[in-house]
Amino acid sequence: MSLDRTPLAPATDTCLREIGSADIVVGIPSYNNADTVGHVVRAVSAGLAKYFPDRRAVLVNSDGGSSDDTSGVVARTAVDYRHLLIADRQSVLHRIVTPYHGAPGKGSAIRTIFEIAARLRAEACAVVDADLRSISPEWIDMLLRPILDEGYDYVAPFYLRHKYDGTITNSLAYPLTRALYGKRIRQPIGGEFGFSGALASHYLDQHVWESEVARFGIDIWMTTEAIASGANVCQSFLGAKIHNPKDPAADLSAMLRQVVGSLFASMEQHTGVWSRIEESHPVPVFGFPYEVGVEPVHVNVEGMVSHFRQGLRDLAPIWKQLLAEDTMQRLYDANHREQAACIADDLWVRLVYDAAAAYHHQILPREHLLKSLTPLYLGRTASFVLATQGLTSAEAEQTIEQLCRTFETHKPYLIERWNQRTRQPAVSASSPRTGASAGGDHERPD
Amino acid sequence: MNDLIEQALLAPLELLGRHLLEVLPNLVAMGILLLGGLLAAWLSNVSVERLLRVIGLDHLSNRLGVTTALLRAGIKTDPSRLIGRTLYWAVVLFASIAALSALNLAPINQFAHSMLAYVPHLVTAGVILLAGYVCSNFASQAILIAAVNAGLPPARLIANCSRWGLQLLAGAMALEQLGIAQHIVVVGFGITWGGIVLAAAIAFGFGATDLAKEFLDRRVVRRNRSGEMDDLRHW
Repeated sequence: MSLDRTPLAPATDTCLREIGSADIVVGIPSYNNADTVGHVVRAVSAGLAKYFPDRRAVLVNSDGGSSDDTSGVVARTAVDYRHLLIADRQSVLHRIVTPYHGAPGKGSAIRTIFEIAARLRAEACAVVDADLRSISPEWIDMLLRPILDEGYDYVAPFYLRHKYDGTITNSLAYPLTRALYGKRIRQPIGGEFGFSGALASHYLDQHVWESEVARFGIDIWMTTEAIASGANVCQSFLGAKIHNPKDPAADLSAMLRQVVGSLFASMEQHTGVWSRIEESHPVPVFGFPYEVGVEPVHVNVEGMVSHFRQGLRDLAPIWKQLLAEDTMQRLYDANHREQAACIADDLWVRLVYDAAAAYHHQILPREHLLKSLTPLYLGRTASFVLATQGLTSAEAEQTIEQLCRTFETHKPYLIERWNQRTRQPAVSASSPRTGASAGGDHERPD
Repeated sequence: MNDLIEQALLAPLELLGRHLLEVLPNLVAMGILLLGGLLAAWLSNVSVERLLRVIGLDHLSNRLGVTTALLRAGIKTDPSRLIGRTLYWAVVLFASIAALSALNLAPINQFAHSMLAYVPHLVTAGVILLAGYVCSNFASQAILIAAVNAGLPPARLIANCSRWGLQLLAGAMALEQLGIAQHIVVVGFGITWGGIVLAAAIAFGFGATDLAKEFLDRRVVRRNRSGEMDDLRHW
């Protein structure tokens, strides 16, 4: 275990000394979620009382300095167990409401939860978002039971979502994680996770807390780190995921940068792991899957296409530096012919793999590279929406499955690009590049 | 007759010999300084070039766009070699000035001192120009990407303006450092920059009211470009 402890507030330290130890820690990272966090606290409390009545449990709210009394709501929220038909609650549920230290973001909040779990020597932990509207007490059981009773180390959520809900997950995080690490975890950036105390300590020991992981990158990092470290992973069916309407101030470019940055940084760290994996395998799903109605999603395809086209016009000199010549040519060809954006599966896969290799070879400042991918992502999302407009969610899922297979079949291309040495990368746009067919002069992954 | 020979021929020869003996050590010193300087220049050229290659300066220059900029300016040499050669000629220049000073002649000494006094200004101006160039390229690329991601149609114009603005600023600072028409440069830069800002503000205020409104709407209300709200969840 790391000797460098995460700093905690003095009141939290005192509280932890009083509690001593716990079997279960459930964390709720929050920032200005006063209108929804009460429901989440009630669901967590009821879940712990109903499914783990004899376990010593602690609920931790790690707050980023909310101005809407989120912490106050967490501290005050009461649960009437009799109405929930729960009569045998034996252990007191401790509540810790604490601010977190470090860079503002969900990652720093979760780091504080890891630290508290480690100090309490918790056997199992779970993290749930504070903006959830569809969470029920069963979620707590589904996230913790595989850890406590089945010996798993990491539980990823399995939701039913609208076909256009979670497009970064569908077009990038899921297919890329699956192709790289060989595990079919459908929601690798779901937001709700269960994990063992040992895995929490492993997470704490990693020196990533000043990077993208400290912000939005935490979810994908937890999943990839769990798989790469050899943890025993599974999924739990949680039904529909309904959360607060998205924050209008949330910047897509920043989110994408942090998720993709976290993914690419994990690739750098675990090259030896993913480069040896050739095919993917299903991951066990616990729970009882059922069909639910999901909220309709309105999509402005024209806006995304227009954004993509502007990127193709203005960012082409930058893209030429990171994409292979034939990938760039295909991007031009496809979009000169079509009225709408056209980024087919195989072209999208090449774009992602070229970007990953460019990130590895540091062809551009990484911040610029990651941010320049936003119009490409929007172009791909528009293509996906247009291709699946008339399809049901199950049919759209088949389209995503097809994309995943394309990611897997093109993986040798990624390894080839990854291992290519850069001699004079993109000195000028017209300089010959070492394309996919270039042979020899390879460096081996570790 | 003997006196005549002594006075007319031997005395000047003796005088010339004495002068030569006086200057000879200086000449020898000059030669040694020149040879030593050339050797030092060659050594520093080779060692610095190798060191820069080892630490990956060429790769870094590629990433920062310096290599591309050099190519555009017609310089096909890579940055490590370029710095090595620059150092070579700088050492040769210093050695030449030191060698000339060894002759101990007043006008040459004065020239050498004034040259030496100007060198720090030259170096500072060069560093300012180089730093300005690198920073302007980096900043304009960041601005271009941010403007495209924000959906601003004149993204390239904004990025180019920022690049040229920074390079103009670096140029003005370098000229000021060299002491070339100091006041004219500062005043000229102030007038030009102030004029551009004023003109842009007036043009934006009067001529592009709708654009300004639309821009602020989009930034503040976060509408997308077609004006429709989109509830796509990317996460």
